[in-house]
Parts: sequence; C-alpha cells; structure tokens
Amino acid sequence: MKTARPRLLPFVALTLLTLAGCAGEQSAFAGLGPVSSRITLLTWIMFIAAALITVFICLLLFVAIAGPADWRRQLTRVKTVVLGGIVFPVVTLSALLIYGFSILRVGENLVQAENALRISVVGERWWWRVIYRHDDGHTTEAANEIRIPTGRPVEIELSTADVIHSFWLPAYAGKVDMIPGRINRLHFSADKPGIVRGQCAEYCGGAHALMAFYAVAMPPDDYDAWLAREKADAEPARGHAGERLFLTSGCGGCHTVRGTRADGKEGPDLTHVGGRLSLGAGILPNTPESFGRWISRHQQLKPENLMLPYDFFTESELQALSAYLKSLE
Amino acid sequence: MTGWATRHWRALLLWTLGLFAGLTLLALMIAYSGIYNIAASAGHPAWMERFLQLGKERSVKFNSRSVKPPKQDSADLVPLGAAHFQGTCATCHGAPGQPVNPVFGHMLPSPPDLQKHAHHWTREQLFWIARHGIQFTGMPAWSGAGRDDEVWAVVAFLEALPSMSETEYRRYAGGHSETQGYSAGTLVSQGRPRLDLTACSRCHDTAGAAPPSPYVPHIGGQNEAYLRRALHEYRDDSRQSGFMEPVADDLDDEQIDRLAAYYASLPPSPRQPPRPSSPRLREQGRQLAEQGDRARKVPACLSCHGANGRSDYPRLAGQSEQYIRRQLQVWRRGGRHKTPHGAMMSVVAKRLTDQQVEAAASFFAGRPPQADRVQEEASAP
Repeated sequence: MKTARPRLLPFVALTLLTLAGCAGEQSAFAGLGPVSSRITLLTWIMFIAAALITVFICLLLFVAIAGPADWRRQLTRVKTVVLGGIVFPVVTLSALLIYGFSILRVGENLVQAENALRISVVGERWWWRVIYRHDDGHTTEAANEIRIPTGRPVEIELSTADVIHSFWLPAYAGKVDMIPGRINRLHFSADKPGIVRGQCAEYCGGAHALMAFYAVAMPPDDYDAWLAREKADAEPARGHAGERLFLTSGCGGCHTVRGTRADGKEGPDLTHVGGRLSLGAGILPNTPESFGRWISRHQQLKPENLMLPYDFFTESELQALSAYLKSLE
Repeated sequence: MTGWATRHWRALLLWTLGLFAGLTLLALMIAYSGIYNIAASAGHPAWMERFLQLGKERSVKFNSRSVKPPKQDSADLVPLGAAHFQGTCATCHGAPGQPVNPVFGHMLPSPPDLQKHAHHWTREQLFWIARHGIQFTGMPAWSGAGRDDEVWAVVAFLEALPSMSETEYRRYAGGHSETQGYSAGTLVSQGRPRLDLTACSRCHDTAGAAPPSPYVPHIGGQNEAYLRRALHEYRDDSRQSGFMEPVADDLDDEQIDRLAAYYASLPPSPRQPPRPSSPRLREQGRQLAEQGDRARKVPACLSCHGANGRSDYPRLAGQSEQYIRRQLQVWRRGGRHKTPHGAMMSVVAKRLTDQQVEAAASFFAGRPPQADRVQEEASAP
C-alpha cells in the first residue's frame, strides 16, 4: 500500500484538472437554454442509470461466484436470462431512444411555434461565415460571432464551403456536422444574457484547433438595436489614412466593408469588425494591437490559414490600418 | 587463375595495398615538391589536356542527361539572350565582331569562341553548362536561383549564334541602345562609359519603341515606387534573376532613384498587338481580374493591380501575355517568394489553375496601358 499511494496522486491531479475544464464559457454542463439543459439532464440520467446497472451487475457476478447454491441456481434459469439479458436492455434502450428523440423535437417545436430567428453559418477553412436572414428576405453578413436575443428560438442552418466542419456550441445546443452539399439545422434558445464560446469539433485541416467563435445572448431590445447597427453600412471614414491603405493594398479583394469599394467575398466580412469580441476566429482579443499583430504575423498566430501574408507594412501603416479597422464598430 | 588467386589472396591484397600507398605517396611528393608547373602561361602537357577534356565532356554529357528542354518561341528569346550575352559573357567568350579581351584570352583553359564551339554541344548540354558552370575553368553558375527560364533564353541565343552575322548580332544585343563616339577628352578623363552592361534600353522599352523581346516587361510609365523596389530587390539578391541582378548590382541608391523616376515619367511605350486568344479565355480572364475565384480563394487581380493599387504594386495593363505568364510560372515554381511582396503573390499564383494563368495573362495583355490611369483621373475628387 505504501508504494501505491504516490502513484495515485498524479491520477487524482489529472482527473481534477480534466474536471476543471467542465466549467466556464465552453461547458457542456452549463445548460443555458431549454435544449442544452435537457441534453444535460439526459446526460445525468444516463450516467446515474449506467452507474446503478454497473453496481447491480457486479453484485450478480459476486453471487454467481460466491453466493449460496440456491441463488446461483436461480441465476441459471432460462427465465432470468430472457428477462435480464433481452427484455431489460430492449426496454431501457428503447425508452432512452424515445426520450432522446423527444429532446431533438423540443428545439424544432420551439422554432415552429414561435417567430424564430434564422441564421446561416457556413464553415470555411478556418472561420465561420455568419449570415443573418431577415423576415423581409434580406440578409446581413458577419463572421466568427453569433448574436442572439434571449427567449427567442433560433434556427441555425449549417453548411460548408469546403470540407466537413462541426458546429459545436455546448452551452446552448449539441454539436452538428457541416457536410458538403447538405444543409443541417440546429435549434436552440438562450434563457438569459451571456457570452459563451463555440468551436469546430470535426478535424478540418491545419488550423482546425484555432477555429472558434463567440455567441452573445442579448436582451431583445439590445439585440434589435445591435442588429440595426449591424445592418447599416460602415460609417464613412473618408480621408482616413487606414481606409486608403486598406483599399489600395488590395484588402478589398478578399474582404467586404459595406459602404466602400471593398467587396471581396473570399474572407470574413469586416463591415463591423471593430465591434466583435475576437479576431482570427476566436483566437485574439479585439484590440488595436491585435489587428496589427494579426495583419503582420497571422501565419505564426494561426499557421496555414488562407489569408495572404502581408509582411511589408511599416509600423506606421500597421497602426493606421489597426485604427481604421477598430473604428469599424 | 581463380585457383591461383584463392591460394595467394593474402599476398595479392598486400601488394595492392602497397601499390596504392606508394602511388598516393608519390602524388603527395610531387605536389609538395612543387615541380608541377601550374602557371596558366605554361599550358597543359598534351596528356593532361586530353585527360581533362575527356573528364569535362563525359561529366557534361552524364549530368545533363535529365535536362528536359521546354517548348518555347526561340525567335522571341534570342534578343533577350543576346543582350545578356553581350553584357556578361562576351568579355570572356568574345562575340561576332568583338575579339576576346586579351586579358581573358590568357586564362587557362582559354574561354572558347562560342560562334565556333556552340555547335559542339546539344541544347540540353548548353543549358546545363550555362546553368551550372564548370569547375576550374572560370565558367560561373547562373546567378538567378530558380530562373531556368532565363537560361533557356541564353540557350536559344547560343543556338542561333553560329549562323549570326555581325550586323544581326549588334541588332539583337544592342536593342534600343545607342553607341556614340566619345570625345578623346571624355575617354581620357572618365574612361569608356560601361554601356555594355547597364544600358537599360538594350532590353527595355524607350519612349517610342516596345522592348525587343515580348519576354521583357514594359517599364515606361510603370509605378515609380514599384520600379525602385524591384531594383533594390534585385540588388540585395532577394528577387532572383540572372539578367537583372548583375545590372542592379552596379547601381547605387541615387542611381536607382533617378532611374525609377525617369521610367515612371515616360509615357507608356507602344504595345505589340497581343496574340489572338479565344473569347472564352478573355472572358475568364476578365472575371478573374474583376471578381477573383471564390472557390479557390483567389482575390480579384484588379484589387491590387487596378487603378487604385498602392504605388509599390506594379501596373500590369498592356504587359505582354508572354511576360505575365512567365512570371506567374516563376511564382508557381517558388522562384519569387523571398521578398515580402513576392511572398504574397506567391500564395495567389499557386492557387491559380494553368488555365487561369493563361486567362489572366491574356486579360492584362489585352488591356490598354492607359486603362489604369484614365479611371484614376475620373475617380479623383
């Protein structure tokens, strides 16, 4: 026993460390909406039932080996085998399956019953194209951040521009794959305001681990105000040195800033990039310094990402560009 | 015989080792004593001459066996190869109407007169020699890494050289440059200006004439900051070119500034009519230039190379289709990624399909050189 104790210590430490990851903004146990809280409940039901069944099996095993002869004879009867080995698993698993389907229906019912918010998210290597679909048929494009009002059901249409990605927003919903040639749907709603993190959960190439996003749930009034700003073009920055640099250096070949000549569709829409929480798909905080770091060193920060390397901007040019981009709120 | 060798293998081995050691010792003694005369003026003894020739010929033949000549328009490349030859090779090898400089004629081995000797080698062998040089002979390797396309231009010229008259050679090698008589006073005080190497107009356009070869870019009316950047990149060896590096190496900062300003102020030179291309290709080129290719993540060419591009980005309208295509191919092979601007274009070029390269080249070749400027003036407030 003396030698066993030190070996146990790293194991306990590792377990505690792993469990620590279950808290926070990207936790599957957070259950911040009706869908995710039901998923969490299902998880607990399955976990506790599985634990009970395991204990029961252990007991049976013990009885089969060392129990009284009479009990052991009972165990070998055909009736016991049929009841315990066939009927019990079929009933239990079918019940769980039906319960699981009913949870999937919750989201869909939510969306059909009420005035749902529709958002398309397109997985790209290695970022998220986010398209808000308005009731009047118009759309507004953004990237790497999803804003939703609280209490209103959300339907997200998931598709991909290239390879298989998986959209995972654990605090609000389960994960659903984005498969080439298909549109999958994910339904959820948020109970209260908050900021949570999501992540690509299907290996999609070099920068897969750095393909994240934030979801922001806002009170409905705040959301409406935010959406009105997001729909609008970027505020004109005529004569801003950063804007001139942005346009003459060819940034508009890949990025759109609505209200300017920049209308590229290859990369993320930057019309309101200054108002987002993060840069580079969830990997840098949104500060002027981050813009400079991203533009000059994005291949080191997010290796293999598909943005062109811009290694020739001077320090003052980077500052002007950062100031301009940060001003796009 | 075998029986004898099996019985006496021990003695045989010892004799072989002894002989080898003896010969090595003899070679060392000859080298150390200094009795072998390495003077260039002494020449090689006949047996040594034959031995070295044999080694050279066999080595060139053996090493050039994997060289694959590309399909190319030799006629268009001859002026380019000739101008480079005149600038850098003729000093040692001579040229039609120009005997070898007596200083270099006294090298050992003396550089061959290529008008007579070029036929001695095949196309592949000429390429291999010009590309890699030859040890112990003074023949240097090509100075632009990854620019085999340039070496092939020299090969095209070398193949045409044996049948070239002096007048033809002067026309090809001189381009638009003018040789003039210098006064005795100039010659006495400044020497003969080095027209051979750095006269830009040997290869490039002038106010009234297109470049002699479509593989050479028009630089009249090009952006000043771009021209300055290009010359600096050639000079510091970050942009590779066996043609331009030796030229830029001779220029100081002030000369670079003046040249860039001079060419930027020239009106765009006359264009040769672009080669006819299919309407489908032109349309594909227009789309690529104006909209890019979203699926391949290619931005629109005109977002950088249009009317409103930075002044250190080059204008492409009216450059020849051959030049643009060739540069894109150099990028795709990884020959232009060492400069910051080149590294960016390198990524774009590698995303293009072969067809898109053709389409882009055809689009810009068919675009009038004034296209960029007119828009610029119209859009100015």
